[in-house]
Amino acid sequence: MKISFLLHNAYAIGGTIATTFNLAGALAQRHDVEIVSVLRNRERPSLTLHPRVRLRALVDLRHEEDHPLHGRPAKVFPSAEYRHGQYSELTDQRIGACLQDIDADVVVGTRPGLNVHLALQAPDRVLRVGQEHLTLDNHHAGLRTVLRRAYRRLDVLTTVTRADADSYRRKMRLPGVRVEALPNSVPDPTLSPADGTGRIVIAAGRLVPVKRYDLIIDAFARVVAEHPDWQLRIYGRGEEKAGLRARIEQLGLWNNVFLMGAATPMEAEWVKGSIGVCASDFEPFGMTIVEAMRCGLPVVSTDCPYGPGEIIEDGVDGRLVPPGDAAALGAALLDLVRDDERRRRMGGAALADARRFAPGPVVAQAERLFQEAIEARGGAGHGTPAPAGLPHTLRTGGYAARDLVRAAASGALRTVRKGRR
Amino acid sequence: MSTEPRADCRADTGGEVTFRLRLPSATHPRLLLALRPKKGRPEQKTRTLDLEPTGDDGAFGAVLEPEPPLEEGRWDAYVLRGPDAERERLRPGLRDVRALVDGGSRDRSSPVAVRVPYTTLDGFLSLRAWRRTAHAEAGAIAIADGAMTVRVRPHGATLSAAAVALLRLRGDKDTVRDVPVRPAEDGDFTFTVDYGALVAENGGARVWNVFLRPAPGAPLIRVGRILDDLADRKGSFVYPQVTVGGSVVRPYYTVDNDLSVEVTAAG
Repeated sequence: MKISFLLHNAYAIGGTIATTFNLAGALAQRHDVEIVSVLRNRERPSLTLHPRVRLRALVDLRHEEDHPLHGRPAKVFPSAEYRHGQYSELTDQRIGACLQDIDADVVVGTRPGLNVHLALQAPDRVLRVGQEHLTLDNHHAGLRTVLRRAYRRLDVLTTVTRADADSYRRKMRLPGVRVEALPNSVPDPTLSPADGTGRIVIAAGRLVPVKRYDLIIDAFARVVAEHPDWQLRIYGRGEEKAGLRARIEQLGLWNNVFLMGAATPMEAEWVKGSIGVCASDFEPFGMTIVEAMRCGLPVVSTDCPYGPGEIIEDGVDGRLVPPGDAAALGAALLDLVRDDERRRRMGGAALADARRFAPGPVVAQAERLFQEAIEARGGAGHGTPAPAGLPHTLRTGGYAARDLVRAAASGALRTVRKGRR
Repeated sequence: MSTEPRADCRADTGGEVTFRLRLPSATHPRLLLALRPKKGRPEQKTRTLDLEPTGDDGAFGAVLEPEPPLEEGRWDAYVLRGPDAERERLRPGLRDVRALVDGGSRDRSSPVAVRVPYTTLDGFLSLRAWRRTAHAEAGAIAIADGAMTVRVRPHGATLSAAAVALLRLRGDKDTVRDVPVRPAEDGDFTFTVDYGALVAENGGARVWNVFLRPAPGAPLIRVGRILDDLADRKGSFVYPQVTVGGSVVRPYYTVDNDLSVEVTAAG
């Protein structure tokens, strides 16, 4: 198959970028895979991309930041989408042209606004796969309304957890759209796993409020009071840094808690630790939890919607604690800090249990999903016309609606926009 | 993607560093370490290692033995793909430096030599080397009541009963403050510096470098933190600032991981 991923910015750092790189790299073993990055702001990607995956960008901000069309608000990319401010008439045009000319069997959108582009602008010959890396419940009502209309025109919608797939099936009427959970994958680590003897607790991610690093610091104060030889290292950068620094100082933890900045690859950092920690209020998947487990670390996490509870088995390969509860988080960390034997046993279980998120099983599922969806549409892939006698009804109601959209694109867009209000 | 060469490396507790990289179609490749010269000076010191095939096709490895120690500084890593090839700067792959994390807990003899593989600000592979006759490894720094108490562990030197911690004004070797050093548990020592003794009468900005003097008349030992896995801690090991009169005082690690105390005007 020829598979194209449409990504917001392949040159930045984040969970969606990491997981897209992982999936694309694993698919590239057997398929022709490219990543189309809508935006580009630097020479090379921050994360490492498999050399067989081609990468191209549509708008190079290093030269086109001041393009007149880039100053005008996007019309196709929905204004209800979080990233609307970074999109423009220029991105509308470039994404539209890219999709019109695309030479792929499968095009995969990786965020709601790009899925809308896919739904409205991708030609009939390609399989339209929308990926949701956030959750339906976390989308605000305006965006949900836009997506409810647009997503009917997708062939496949994937979420990263079963809980979120259920949510889409229950709350959105998407007749004929195949909705399935496709977890993020994490590459097989190269380094030998952590042996559990380290005295470092590690957290990683963007320093943004929802990740609740403040809670981790509060919880770690309890660990330090009893075990002053333990460190907490927080990897990542973001808006919360100054606030977290102030918290570390207030609590007198500057000898034990360190804001390390961003590190790639994280693998070499995880193996220095012996416990991973995540305190998010909301974690659609929990990529760093799987990364830590694949390096042999048990992870103490909040049981927030939806990812951690589908990754960690409480008391076996990690711990789940109620969100927002620093005392519970601190107690769970202390349990593992105090008990070397239990920590090592749970680290071993984490290593084994996280293998289900290896590229192998996840890619096999993605391949099967794409192939079955292509077959269900009545085409065998790129360049194969739909056999006569297989009517549109096989391809769901969305198919006809899609043609309608293209016939009267502006009208349809108006409808979509109205739906937002 | 780029075809820039990228090397994995692993550091062990004894100072050995192992490099691994893939070089399709290389003949007798070598790995070159070059001590970064001071700005405007020519490069003088290099160390060349043979890269040996490691079995897999195109995979090569080299070992930097602990002896002789590297001269102190930053050693940039290059690869030469063949006898007449131009050198190419190496990018870092996986840097497995976990063995260094607990380095502060092992006693060292003189000279104290350390290497930490790290990624430069512009994204290349380099080795940070320290080589000192003696070294004083800083541990926890308690800050309270307008004073700091530093926990420190000497390596390659023995402290006498008359040992002192000495702070010397940067740019003025004759302005010093000294305070007694007290033994603590596990072979560590502590000393307490009252910030009031560091601020200038006119509230001006100044920096104090921190040393130990093991005995009267003995050479000074720089206090720093170089025995773990972090080649650069200026941005991560950050200490609170305290206002003393019209000045703000805070200890910090320099770009060389040495401990200094910065005094700036308040407000």
